Amino acid sequence: MTSHKQFILSLEGVSKSFDGFKAINDLNFYMDEGELRVIIGPNGAGKSTMLDIITGRTRPDKGKVEFGANTDLTELNEYEINRLGIGRKFQTPSVYIDHTVFENILLSLQGSRSVWSTIFSRVTASQRERIHEVLKTIGLTDRATWKAGALSHGQKQWLEIGMLLAQNPKLLLVDEPAAGMTDEETAKTGELLMSLAGKHSIIVIEHDMVFVRQIARTVSVLHQGSLLCEGTVDQVQSDERVIEVYLGRKKKAQ
Amino acid sequence: MLLMLTAVAWVALARPVSAADFSPRTNLVQAILSEDLAEQTQLIQNLIGAEDPMVQQALTAWRGGSVYIFETNDTKVPFLLDGTIDANSNAKGIRIIDGEPLKDADGRPLLFVTTDLTPADASSKVRKLIKVALDLFALGNANPKMRRDAITKLGQEQNADYLPHFEARTKIETDKEVIQSLVEAVALTQVASEDAKVRVAAIQKLGEMRSINSVSFLKQIETDARKTPDKFGPETIQAAHAAVLAIDSYMAWGNLFGTAFRGLSLSAVLLVAALGLAITFGLMGVINMAHGEVMMVGAYTAYVTQNIFKGWFGASGGGFDSYFIAALVASFIVAGLVGLVLERGVIRFLYKRPLESLLATWGVSLLLQQLFRHIFGAANVQVSSPSWMSGSYVINDVLLAYNRVFVIGFAVFIVVGTYLLLTRTSLGLQIRAVMQNRAMASCVGVRTDRVNMMTFAYGSGLAGMAGACLSQIGNVGPGLGQNYIIDCFMVVVLGGVGNVFGTVSASLGVGMTDQILQPWLGAVMGKITVLGAIILFLQWRPAGLFVTRSRSLES
Amino acid sequence: MTSFLPKREALLVVIAAFLGLVVLPCLNAYVPPDSAFHVSNFTLTLYGKYLCYSVLAIGVNLLWGYTGLLSLGQALFFSLGGYALGMYLMLMIGKLGQYKADIPDFMVFLEFPARFPATAGLPPHWIPFKSFWFAAAMVIIVPAVVAYIFGWLAFRSRIKGVYFSILSQALTYAATLMFFRNDFTFGGNNGLTDFKFILGHEVNSPVTKRWLYIASGVLLLSVYLGLRWLTSTKFGMIQRAIRDSENRVLFSGYATANFKLFVFVLSAIICGLGGALFVPQVGIINPSEMGPDKSLEAVVWCAVGGRGNLLGPILGAIGINSLKSYATHAFAEQWPYILGALFVFVTLFMPKGIIGLPEQFRELRKKLFGKPAAETGPVAQPVSPKIP
Repeated sequence: MTSHKQFILSLEGVSKSFDGFKAINDLNFYMDEGELRVIIGPNGAGKSTMLDIITGRTRPDKGKVEFGANTDLTELNEYEINRLGIGRKFQTPSVYIDHTVFENILLSLQGSRSVWSTIFSRVTASQRERIHEVLKTIGLTDRATWKAGALSHGQKQWLEIGMLLAQNPKLLLVDEPAAGMTDEETAKTGELLMSLAGKHSIIVIEHDMVFVRQIARTVSVLHQGSLLCEGTVDQVQSDERVIEVYLGRKKKAQ
Repeated sequence: MLLMLTAVAWVALARPVSAADFSPRTNLVQAILSEDLAEQTQLIQNLIGAEDPMVQQALTAWRGGSVYIFETNDTKVPFLLDGTIDANSNAKGIRIIDGEPLKDADGRPLLFVTTDLTPADASSKVRKLIKVALDLFALGNANPKMRRDAITKLGQEQNADYLPHFEARTKIETDKEVIQSLVEAVALTQVASEDAKVRVAAIQKLGEMRSINSVSFLKQIETDARKTPDKFGPETIQAAHAAVLAIDSYMAWGNLFGTAFRGLSLSAVLLVAALGLAITFGLMGVINMAHGEVMMVGAYTAYVTQNIFKGWFGASGGGFDSYFIAALVASFIVAGLVGLVLERGVIRFLYKRPLESLLATWGVSLLLQQLFRHIFGAANVQVSSPSWMSGSYVINDVLLAYNRVFVIGFAVFIVVGTYLLLTRTSLGLQIRAVMQNRAMASCVGVRTDRVNMMTFAYGSGLAGMAGACLSQIGNVGPGLGQNYIIDCFMVVVLGGVGNVFGTVSASLGVGMTDQILQPWLGAVMGKITVLGAIILFLQWRPAGLFVTRSRSLES
Repeated sequence: MTSFLPKREALLVVIAAFLGLVVLPCLNAYVPPDSAFHVSNFTLTLYGKYLCYSVLAIGVNLLWGYTGLLSLGQALFFSLGGYALGMYLMLMIGKLGQYKADIPDFMVFLEFPARFPATAGLPPHWIPFKSFWFAAAMVIIVPAVVAYIFGWLAFRSRIKGVYFSILSQALTYAATLMFFRNDFTFGGNNGLTDFKFILGHEVNSPVTKRWLYIASGVLLLSVYLGLRWLTSTKFGMIQRAIRDSENRVLFSGYATANFKLFVFVLSAIICGLGGALFVPQVGIINPSEMGPDKSLEAVVWCAVGGRGNLLGPILGAIGINSLKSYATHAFAEQWPYILGALFVFVTLFMPKGIIGLPEQFRELRKKLFGKPAAETGPVAQPVSPKIP
């Protein structure tokens, strides 16, 4: 594909503080196209804030956030960023509980998002086909006519991932997909994400180390708003600093 | 007939005159009987400042030609006619010296017919003297405030004849404020002086004194002086201009101070009312539309307390005056109980469902309004202020009404109390815990149900006290809550929820802006402008002044 | 019938429209007054009023039930529409007012000729309202513009939930204060009244009243069908999606503010139209009709009828107003108690309103005697024509 030097996402010197608390502190982060990247870090490390900054929910105090060649994300708002091809899955499953699974996907399909087009648009055969394709990917084909509110927790998570897929995004941001899932569901989610890597670039935030081990190629560790270290799961897990952060063994003064 | 009269009067005169009556009245009698103008002048001037209504009455009568002289062989007794005239146009004669009726030998009052009598002499010169004396009579008024007002008025007449009397009075006056107004009156009178030096000095004096009473005179003289500079001279123009500027800016500050004060007191009421609203919204995510009616409950509690105290102690005096303290406590308790019932009966089913809670509590507000209309009638009820809350301080010509001062102080007390409650008590700790994370708090053993209940009752109690305060500065009627609820909501919207500091700033903002705009735009347009300003403000700061940032996305 | 109406509902609508728009006016016009089937002029006008209120309730519901925006300002838009037509009606009085002047009575009374000497006392902005069509256009434009400005400001700064309610209430309150002022040139607290003619017909004649009633019915029917269609489109789906999870919609690339603004303006127009037909039937419009409490009343009609569907608000509006008409005659003092209790009762015990009662009963029965196994099954979706 494109040259390897071309990052799909880069954050440079990004800082953000809330009431004096530095949630993100001079963060540098780069990601290649097609990569599946896992971000871990203790509570309050700034993982969710980082996603907020990428998706336009929060504006950074300083720093550069670039998508692709030279699209500055800091000046755009949520829906504009989404239209560029960045999809975000929230920590708590966020689907339209009163709509059917089919409709949930339909509303997320690529296409015009203006008020008028939604009033006069009709569902085309190709759209229908695409929806069924997505439903198949997330394994909810036989639930198409169910109301999303009636799905189990795990199924809601998958549906939300399906909604992201329907937009055919370049970059997927997935916040703790395995939270609250059974082991079996977790494994299935892992498979799903891995099958998507390559076609899409994916950032996954996760706590569950078994899950991380299952999907991760490269892991980035966030601590106090900055990048602590990056590497494979094994590298990261044997890193002294990471152990210190997680287990609180303070051998040396920082 | 005359002979008989003479004999009787002699008898009556023989009675000794008491010492207390002596000086001014004797003085007056002498003046009336005197034939020498110089002596009369002296005697009349002596009367100025006499604290005796009889003297005033007699002087007025003398000037109007209705003082008569009752002559016997060797005595002359000046007297007045009694106001009441009988069927035969006869009236009793009243002696000036002691106010007693003239009597005949049998002790029966003598009767006179006006037409039969010759008034005591009063030349035009004397009349003029009497007028001055009468005008200046108030100098001797026993009440310093009345004395001050009279002097101010006299000063504005710019009558040079008064000057010696002002100066005389200044020498014996003891009240500082009265002396001040005497100095002002002298200066103001001297402004009209022909002597340029005196005039300029007087103008400068008034400017230094920041005399608001004389500003229009100074402006007039400045205009006149500019028209005919030859007559007044440049110094007058300069002095008047400087004085007017000084006084104007002083007045502007005074107005600003007064507006700020009224704004502060309105803010104080809003604050006490909105504090409860903000806490309950922050804690439980419910909007209480009946909050205004809880205020109304507090106001009516003050009314009822007042009536009870009236029954015990009568409508005045120390016992009655203490009612308001009791009313504050009572309104806190009663409104708190209403809040408790409301929370248990309605609110607790609607946690975290603000829209539904808004509707249900609106229903409650309708119920409460109608209930109070039934019990107390649709008209406003009278809540009188205890004596220690009526009246006002005057600081540099700005009136600070006691009731408003009290309300401000009370609000400070409540804010500090609430702050301490939230930060220093275990209930406060629990409240804050529940506010931040209800589920977690409940997991670590906080009885969230009880915390809700207590908080809601406390918030309602605050509203009740706000209502009691309102009863001192506004009307108490069934619609009271409706008049304030929108302002309270605006404060909550502006200040953010669950943040004492935000509520304080927002209520100051709303209350002050309202009072600053009112004189320019009128009450209605002022209110509308405030609402518009808030909507525009939220463009800049959508979540209000102080945002407690929430990390959860779906908040 | 059209595809967005299921057959059963279409039949119901046709029957209701026939009864309301044909049978009732005929019973009024052609059945002699002494007959038991006669519908009096008074009754017909009363129903006309209810129909206008139903339109208002639908407007509230479009926002609240479908989009999750509880606006306490809809009575304002209703009144703005009413005032716009009321101004035309005022100017049609001509010299028949008490002062026999060319300008409406209140303008004479408030000495407008001295204030607006150039136009013989008629404020300049009143002049175009001599044209019915101008007034009719204003019925739509004024509420739409007010809603657009307020909505734009509110949605741009992401004011939502209860904050939106409170601010819309403040807007209504401010407008009410403004209209109460005499120098605002709309008749102060007396408002506009004593209408005589509309389009050359006597406003108070039974024939005109009948046609006004029919017009209200047609308006309600068109609004019902129009919104029934709109809510069945993808737009309708997004509306409800915003209600259930606005963030998801926003992060799916939809500018939710634009959607909300569209719905808000549309609702304002609907309410304005309702108000415009309301005014000639009741013969008066004044500021007390627009206050926050009126908006809240309209909200309770929706709540009682059942929100989130189109039939509920109509049921609620007609039901509660019938009750109110009866109650304010029979026991006026108690009406606020009833209304207040209704607010509390409905929000606590009937979250889905009358329309939702059968469902509530089913759930209750299930809870008491039901078989728990059935509950986990898929929810039947009879109204989902798009599913292949």
